[in-house]
Amino acid sequence: MRLGVDEVGVTELMGVSEHTRALATAAAALLLDSLDSERALVPPLDPGAAEEPAKALLEEIAAWAEAAMGHRSAPILWRVLAHNPHYIETTWRKERTLMGDGALSAHDKRRTALGVAMAMRGGYLIEYNAALLRRAGDTDRDILEVLGVVDHYTTLNTLSEGMQIESDIRPSA
Amino acid sequence: MTTIRMVDPAGVSGRTKEIFDAVLRREATVFGATSVSNIWRCMGHWPALLEANWNRSRALMQRGRFTPLQRELIATAVSIGNACTY
Repeated sequence: MRLGVDEVGVTELMGVSEHTRALATAAAALLLDSLDSERALVPPLDPGAAEEPAKALLEEIAAWAEAAMGHRSAPILWRVLAHNPHYIETTWRKERTLMGDGALSAHDKRRTALGVAMAMRGGYLIEYNAALLRRAGDTDRDILEVLGVVDHYTTLNTLSEGMQIESDIRPSA
Repeated sequence: MTTIRMVDPAGVSGRTKEIFDAVLRREATVFGATSVSNIWRCMGHWPALLEANWNRSRALMQRGRFTPLQRELIATAVSIGNACTY
């Protein structure tokens, strides 16, 4: 990749992409349509009724959400996954590992995740990532700038796939 | 296999030539291109499409507050999701 990103950065980008796609698929499969919704294919677990280790994880997520989203409550996606302690633990740990600062900044990763969610039309993950970005200072114009790239690359991807255009852009030696 | 013949930049004139020249200047700066890339050449069959998308490329990929890297990360991630190998 150009712009000074090495193989580690490219792998981080792939990780952010697949993680966001997987979460968006899970959210859609659970019929989650909004951060505010309490409706889901599997009802969210009441944190007060959860048992360990899910209880501790939901408390950890709620503390994170207070700082990152502005309200102390684990988002519904995590409360649904909490029915299976292994599922929530491995997925939440993956989220924290992949979306933190690395070769790519946490902020750039989150903007990328928003773009992936937009391209998938994943309503829940669009709201989720946009809420985190707004809390981190992004404005309407920033959200629209992410959308602009998504929009334009939907155009270019459609043309190149529809016409089976062979790539003539090669990595520099 | 490409399903469309690529427009030869040497054989165009007028507005299409102006846009191809601008695309090449941009691509030479960004990734050292020495010829107009295929994605833009394929649009040359319909100059109105070429111009509309070049204008959007300039507006959405070359202007704004994001760094080129930030835009490229999103673009690449979207292309992965769309299974676009270009």
